[in-house]
Amino acid sequence: MSENIKIVKNATCTFCGCVCDDMELHVDLDENRIVKTKKACVLGKAWFLEHTIEKDAHAAMIDGKKVSMEEAIEEAAQTLVKAKFPITYGLSDSTSEAQRQAVAISDIVKGNVDTTSSVCHGPTGMAFQGVGESTSTLGEVKNRADLVIYWGANPAESHPRHFGRYSVTAKGMFTPNGKKDRTVVIVDVRKTKSSPVADINIRPKIGKDFEILWALRALVKGKKVADDIEEQTGISLETLEDLVERMKNCRFGVFFFGMGLTMPRGRHFNTGALLALATDLNEFTHFVAKPLRGHGNVTGADNVVSWQTGYPFSVNFNRGYPRFNPGEFSTVDLLSKGEADAAMIIASDPASNFPKKAIEHLKSIPVISLDTKSTLTSKDAHVAFRVSTYGINTTGTVYRMDDVPITLNPAFDSPFPGDEEVLKGIKKRVQELMLARHNANGARGEAKVAAARIQE
Amino acid sequence: MALKLKLHTQPDVPLEVDCISPDRLQSLSNSEISKQTIFHGNRQVNLGDFFDCIGDFDNEIIIEGDCSNIKHIGTAMSFGQITIEGDVGTHTGAVMSGGEINIEGSGADWLGAEMLGGRITVKGDAGHMVGSAYRGSAQGMQGGEIIVHGNVRNEMGHAMRRGLIAVGGNADDFAGVNMLAGTIIVLGDMGIRTGAGMKRGSIICQNIIDILPTFSRSCDYQPSFLRQYYKYLKSMGLTINDSFLDGPFERWCGDSVELNRGEILLYAGK
Repeated sequence: MSENIKIVKNATCTFCGCVCDDMELHVDLDENRIVKTKKACVLGKAWFLEHTIEKDAHAAMIDGKKVSMEEAIEEAAQTLVKAKFPITYGLSDSTSEAQRQAVAISDIVKGNVDTTSSVCHGPTGMAFQGVGESTSTLGEVKNRADLVIYWGANPAESHPRHFGRYSVTAKGMFTPNGKKDRTVVIVDVRKTKSSPVADINIRPKIGKDFEILWALRALVKGKKVADDIEEQTGISLETLEDLVERMKNCRFGVFFFGMGLTMPRGRHFNTGALLALATDLNEFTHFVAKPLRGHGNVTGADNVVSWQTGYPFSVNFNRGYPRFNPGEFSTVDLLSKGEADAAMIIASDPASNFPKKAIEHLKSIPVISLDTKSTLTSKDAHVAFRVSTYGINTTGTVYRMDDVPITLNPAFDSPFPGDEEVLKGIKKRVQELMLARHNANGARGEAKVAAARIQE
Repeated sequence: MALKLKLHTQPDVPLEVDCISPDRLQSLSNSEISKQTIFHGNRQVNLGDFFDCIGDFDNEIIIEGDCSNIKHIGTAMSFGQITIEGDVGTHTGAVMSGGEINIEGSGADWLGAEMLGGRITVKGDAGHMVGSAYRGSAQGMQGGEIIVHGNVRNEMGHAMRRGLIAVGGNADDFAGVNMLAGTIIVLGDMGIRTGAGMKRGSIICQNIIDILPTFSRSCDYQPSFLRQYYKYLKSMGLTINDSFLDGPFERWCGDSVELNRGEILLYAGK
């Protein structure tokens, strides 16, 4: 190890949705790597310590051949402009500034923009729209929550610092004794590493979350539920009644729910049922529901796409205005039905985790990929950009899972450009190409103003 | 003679053709019809680039060719008839307020979504969200009839307000979810969580289903109105077992987390 060590304080870990911003990183500037982390969890440690700069990688490639950045941007822009149904997907492991550029590109080329939410907490986004959201920040949870219910989530393994920083052992203003002031309930179909933390473990039959939530809603409203509830769901009426009493009588209750609730059969109705239960409980006490978001800035993706288009994900601009329709404009559906004819994939690897039919179609169309490392998607991409890692090499804004924006404090520089820089280049070029298409005889009126803006 | 639109070129990406409706084409000549603007992905093109236009409009439009990648046919139509001689894409007959759509092949998702009146008949299967509300809407289908001879997928009649959906085959999960009123009849099997969150309305099932814990059984009876429905559906070409006509039905009322004024009628004659 060299002597040339830089210490970065208050760095932010962007691995999971917790976005812990109290890291201390020791950076070896000669070797361009982080050699020591303080306060990071096991996932954060791996995220920082295993981050290396691959010196022999190329920043821009077309069909596997090294090219200049300008050539790659030109080819990417031409591909997007030529396409009749270009799609943009990914975005959750990127800064909000880059996400903003990606939405703008989709808007300009009249394409489709979708984030990894559509295969993760997308059902939650749909349920928010259908039911509404009773929400709070994690700070409020830390300071006030005396009943914490995790549903279909395993934070001990997916968000290791969630318990300590916010929800279980954290000591707050009205929870001075940490865990002693809280009751923790975990609802999960199996025993997980989170289970020992819970005061009450509820283990329903697989795929019965909706029925249990529906029964809880009925009990909260003082209605009867079917006598065979235990037979149906695996949970006795006494257990449910006890939980209802605890929920009604707590001072501040919170549901944290994960993909164990959003992804089984029923999807947005499962999360909708939980959100409706939280709403019902507000007749008795204060109750909130928060999704446990996975990727570092997936919450930012939802925020940015919502603020720019009005909808959180699965947004289509084919007609020049945004339309929202998950199931029609979600990436898995567009690829499986063979509807998209070009794709820009940002910080995501659908070629390794999408359904087979979707991957087959993705391989048959030109793909533009922006990623920090080589992936199955970038290997087969028509234009592949190697970009720097957000949080470690580039600054920007990231939204924590409770919609709190946090500015990143990068550790060291990367030879590769950031997502935002590449996307800005593509945006500028597609704007020029689209203007040229619509104004073959020179710009007039509004187009002239827009053209002048590009020049600036 | 009816106006015939013959698909001569298959689109590479979906076509959005909301101009194919009697309201839009009734007073146009064939050359004007060929010049109607449609969307091929994000490009505006003419209807004539994909369809040959033959004959004159006399309240009927016949569409030939595989239209499974063609969306929004008959959207917002208010009169006349559209016959589709093959499969058709999404949003067919959405928000229509009158007239008739006959689909010889299969329909797709959002068939008759938020429709207000008229009738859609599908000889094959249909997709998800038949007669349902669009995301964010408070009300789905508000009138009219959808008759599907084959199977339908999830969320049929989501938040429907009025009207009839009859399915000859099976229905998947969440049929009649958040239903406000109206009638759903399924002759085949049902998926799970039928009628979740329903306020009013009737869901009639012929086969045993899983009933949510928030529904309660009120009685067994022989509803005379069902006889009329079945007779009507028989006249529409669905195969109805005669034993259903007078058969006893279990009446379950729910959903108790909502108004509890909806009903699931379950054939009990087996």
